[in-house]
Amino acid sequence: MTSTAEAAAKPRLRPSLRGALSYDERAAYLFVAPLAAVLMAVAVFPILYSFYISLFQLKLTRPGHTPFVGFDNYVTVLSDPLFWHAVERTVVFSVLSVVAIAVLALLAALLLNQDFPGRRVLSAVLLIPWAIPYVANALMWKWIYDSNYGALNGLLYQLDFINSYMVWLGDSDKTLALIANAFVWKEVPLATILLLVGLKTIPADLNAAAKVDGANALRRFVHITLPSLKSSFALVVVYETMMAIRHFDLFFVLTEGGPGNASNVVAWRIYVETFRNLSFGTGAAMAYVLALATLALAYAIIRALAQRM
Amino acid sequence: MTVLATASLSEVRHYRTHSPWRRAGRGIGLALASVLFLAYVLAPVAWLVSSSVQSEREIISKPPHWIAHEPTLQNFAAIFAAKDKVVTYETRKARDPASGGFIPSTATNLLPAMLNSFIVASVVVVLNLIVGVPAAYAMAKVRFRGRNASIYTILATRVIPDIALVVPFFLFIRQLGLLDNIWSLIITYLAVTVPFSVFVLVSYFESLPDELDKAARVDGCSRLQTLTRVYLPLALPSLVAVILFAFLASWNEFLLALMFTQTPASQTLPIIVASFTSDFTISFSFINAAGVLAVIPPVILALVFERYIVSGLTAGAIKG
Amino acid sequence: MTRRHSRRSFLKTSAAGLALAGIGAGRALAADEPIYFATWSAAVDTVKSHIAAFEAKTGVKVAYSNSPWAQYRETMITKFVGKAPIDTLWVSDSWLPEWAEAGWILPVDQYKSLTDNSDVDKFCVDSMTYKGKQYGITYYSDYMAFIYNAEMLAKAGIKAPPQSWAEVVDQAKIVKDKGLSQWPVLVSMAQESWLIEFMTAMVYSNGGDFVDDKGNAVMQDPANGAGAALKWLVDAVQTHKILSPSCVETGELAVLKAFSSGDHAFGLIPKYRLRTLNDPSQSKIAGNAKITLMPKGEKGSHATVGWMRFYGMTARAQGDATRAADTVKLMTWFGGKADGEYKFQKMLFKDVGSGFGVKSLFNDPEIRAAYASYGDVDLISQQQSLARKKDVVTPWFGEWNDVNGTTWQQAIMGKVTVEQALNTSAAKWTELKKQS
Repeated sequence: MTSTAEAAAKPRLRPSLRGALSYDERAAYLFVAPLAAVLMAVAVFPILYSFYISLFQLKLTRPGHTPFVGFDNYVTVLSDPLFWHAVERTVVFSVLSVVAIAVLALLAALLLNQDFPGRRVLSAVLLIPWAIPYVANALMWKWIYDSNYGALNGLLYQLDFINSYMVWLGDSDKTLALIANAFVWKEVPLATILLLVGLKTIPADLNAAAKVDGANALRRFVHITLPSLKSSFALVVVYETMMAIRHFDLFFVLTEGGPGNASNVVAWRIYVETFRNLSFGTGAAMAYVLALATLALAYAIIRALAQRM
Repeated sequence: MTVLATASLSEVRHYRTHSPWRRAGRGIGLALASVLFLAYVLAPVAWLVSSSVQSEREIISKPPHWIAHEPTLQNFAAIFAAKDKVVTYETRKARDPASGGFIPSTATNLLPAMLNSFIVASVVVVLNLIVGVPAAYAMAKVRFRGRNASIYTILATRVIPDIALVVPFFLFIRQLGLLDNIWSLIITYLAVTVPFSVFVLVSYFESLPDELDKAARVDGCSRLQTLTRVYLPLALPSLVAVILFAFLASWNEFLLALMFTQTPASQTLPIIVASFTSDFTISFSFINAAGVLAVIPPVILALVFERYIVSGLTAGAIKG
Repeated sequence: MTRRHSRRSFLKTSAAGLALAGIGAGRALAADEPIYFATWSAAVDTVKSHIAAFEAKTGVKVAYSNSPWAQYRETMITKFVGKAPIDTLWVSDSWLPEWAEAGWILPVDQYKSLTDNSDVDKFCVDSMTYKGKQYGITYYSDYMAFIYNAEMLAKAGIKAPPQSWAEVVDQAKIVKDKGLSQWPVLVSMAQESWLIEFMTAMVYSNGGDFVDDKGNAVMQDPANGAGAALKWLVDAVQTHKILSPSCVETGELAVLKAFSSGDHAFGLIPKYRLRTLNDPSQSKIAGNAKITLMPKGEKGSHATVGWMRFYGMTARAQGDATRAADTVKLMTWFGGKADGEYKFQKMLFKDVGSGFGVKSLFNDPEIRAAYASYGDVDLISQQQSLARKKDVVTPWFGEWNDVNGTTWQQAIMGKVTVEQALNTSAAKWTELKKQS
C-alpha cells in the first residue's frame, strides 16, 4: 500500500539529496521528532536515573554507605516472599478490575451508541466519576465502605438485605474486591469513551446490510461489532492493565496495605520500600521489575488483540 | 453487498422498526439500561452532593440521612469567601474547622487552584495535539525504519510506577529552576500523557482506510496536507477522546503536583483538596463540597465535546 | 538530513540552556532570602497570624508553606533528597532517628533559647532527644486517653468508669447485654501512622514494653505485658465480642466519628479529641464524653503513651550564621515564649484544642476554664504526667512498624496466635537492629 503511494507520488518528488531516506521516511521522522524531543527531554532522564539508583545500596539513614551492588537489589527483591505475596495480590486486583472495566465499559458504550432522547445527558453524566479529584474520591469510598456508619451498610440495612452492619474493608476476603470496585468506578468513563470511539468506526450500512441478510441483534453483535472493536479493546485492556498494576492512590487512603497484608500490592510495596523503609535502591529495583513485567504483558496483549502492530 | 444495501436500506429500516411492539420493546430496554447506568454512575456522586450540604454532626447519622435534615451551605460559602490579605491575630479564623462556619484560609485557595488546574490542563491538551497527532499519523500510515519499535518505546516510558519516578523528576525540575511554577507541571504532564494519546490516535488512524492516503497523494497533497485535509476531520472522535483524556489526566494528577508546587501560586486543585485533611481534623462535608465544585469544569468540557464522539463518523469517504 | 539534524540539536541545546539557566537561578543571593518554614496543613490561620507578628517584630521574612498531612513525610523526604530549601519544619517524634541519621536535621544543643527545658514535660524532651542530643523545640504534644460515654454507662446502671482492663470487659458485657451497644469498645487497629500509639498505650498500661533499655526486643517474652495487651485485644474481638472485627480497618479519625455518633461506651482516643466529642455541632454525645485514667492491666499501671511534634532545624539553616540565628528566633517564637508568654501554644489550644508540652500552662486560668468546660482538668493533667515516650523509635522504626502492625492485625483476625505475632515482630526487630 505504501509502495503504491510512493509510486503514485513519484512524479512530485524533489530530487533526493538525502540518500538512503525516502521522502516518506523523512516526512515520518519529521512528524515524530517533536514527540521524540519531548520524551527525550523530560521522561528519559528520570527513567534512566531511577535505573541507575537501583544498582546501588541506597539507604537514606546511612548516607555515607552507598556502595555499587550491581543487580543485588534485584535478587533481594525477587527472593522476598512478601514480594511474591504482593504479586499475587496485584494479579488478583488487576484481573478483577480489567475484566469488570471491559464488561461495564462495553455495555455503557453500546448503550451510548444508540440514538435516544436523553443520551446527551447520559454522556455528560458519564464523565463525573473521572472528574472527581483523587482525594475526594478515595475519602468518599472510604466513607461509603465504613463498617460503623458508612452508606453501603446503611443502604443494605435499610433495604433489609442485612440484619446488622457488616465489616467491609476490614474483612480480608472482601478488601481487594472493594478497592477494585472503587478503581473500576473511576476508570469506566475513559474505557467507555475509547470503546465508543471504536464503535463509531463501524460503518452503519454494514449493520443494515446484515439485517437485510437476516441476522438478529446477537449475531450482528458477535460477527460485526466485536471483531471491529478488536483494536479498541486492545487499547482499553492494555491501558487499564497498566493502570491497575501501578495503581497506588486508593491503597494508600483506604487500607495502607492491610488488613494483615490483604491489600499489599506491589505498587504499595514500592512506596513502603522507598518512603517508609527509606531504601531507595531496592525500591527502584522493585519498580523496574514491575515495569518489565508490565511491558511484557502489554506486548503480549497487543500482539494477541491488535491488528497491525 | 454495499450497493444493494444502499438501494433497499430505507425500506428495510422502515420495515424493521415499524412494528409498535418492537419500538416499545426497544424503548423499555433503553430506559432500563439508562436507569441502571445512571444508578451505577450517580449513586456515589449523589452521596457526595448530599453530604456536602450536611453538617459534621449529621453526616455520622446511622443510618445515613440520604437527604439532609438540616441542610447548610456553610461549606460552599466558605469556599467562595473573600481572601484576606494578611492574617493577623484578630483576623485569623479561630475555630475548629470541622465545626463548620469557620473554615481555614486554605479554603479560599480552592478557586485559584482550580484556575491553575484549568490552565495547566488546557495547555497540556493543546501541546498533546500538536505533538501527538503528526507522530500518530506517521506511525500509523507511513512505513519507516523503527516504526514498530517506536510504539513500544513510547509505551515503555509509562510502565514505571510514578512513585519510583518522583524523586528523579523532582531533581530534574529543580535543576531547571521550575519549582513552584506551573510550567513544571505542564511539561511533566505532557510527557506523561502524550504516550497514551499517541497510542489512541495510532489505533484510530490505522482503522481509517489507506485508500484515502493514496487518493490524496494522487491529487497532489504532501504528507502534511494529507494529514490536515483528509485524516484530521475523519479522526474527530479520537481527537476528542485524546482531549478529554489529556485534560482529565492533568486535572486529576496529584503526586507530581504535590512535589513540584509550594505556594498557591502554582498549586493545583488536588493539592488544595488534600490540604483540607490536616493532622487535627477532617471535615468530610467540606471535602465533599470541594469535590462537588471540582467536578463542574470537566463536566462542562464533556458537555461541549461529547457530541463529537457520540455523533460519529461518516463512512461515505470510501464510497465517494 | 540537515533539517532533521538541526531541529534535534536545536532542541537539545535549548534544553541544556534551560538547565544552565536553572542552575544559575538556583544559586540565588543569600542576602534577601527568607527563612523557609515547612509545615503540614494544620491550624494554617493560627500559624499565619503568628508569623505575621514575628515578621512585624523582627523584620525577618518567613516563607511559609504547608502540604497535606497524609503526604507530608513523602514530600519532605523528596525535598530533602532533592535539596530544596528548608530551614525549619515540623517533625514527628517517630521520624527523629531516621532524619537525624540521614543528616537532614541537626542537634540544637548549642542554642540556649531552644534547650531551656525547665518548663517542658519529660516525655517531650525525651522524644526530642536522640543519642544524647536534643534536636528541636516542642510544637505540640498529646497522649492516648481512655474515654467513656457517661450517658450510656448511667443507662446501664454502672456507677463508676472501669479502673482495670478486666473491669472494662465486665462493664462492656453489661452494656452489650442491655442492648445499649453492639460493640461497646472502640479501638483503632488500622494500618496508619496512629497505629503504634494505640498499641503502645495498650502495652504500657499492661505493664509491658516493646523493647528494654538497651533496645533489645522483649515483646515476645511471655511474662511481658505486651503479650497481655495483644491477648486482651484478641479476646475482646474473638471471645467476648465487645470489640468489632472491623477495628482493623478503623483509623483514628473514624474512631472519633464513630464515638461521636453515640454507638460505643469506651474508646481509646487521643486526649485532644475530647473537645470535639463534646462539641454539639460535631458530636451526638456532646456533654457526655468523659475521660478517666487509662485502665490497668493485671501487672500494669495507669501509664499511657505520649507523642509530640517538634520544630527541627536543618543542616542548611545551620550552615550560615545569620540564617541560623534567624531560624532559632523563629523556632523560639513558636515553640517557646513570644513576647514573654506562650502565645502560640495558647492560640493552638484555643483554636484547635490541641495539647501542649508546657507544664505551667496547666495553671493558666484561661486554659483551666477551657478544659473545665469539657473535661476534668486535674485528671487530664495527672494522666499527662503518666505519659511516656514510645520505646520503639529508632532509625529502623518505619520498617519494623509495618511488619509489627501487620502481625497484630493478623492476630486480631485470628489468622495467627498471639505468640506467633509477637515472635514475628521481635524477630524482625532483632534483624533490623543487627543490620544497622
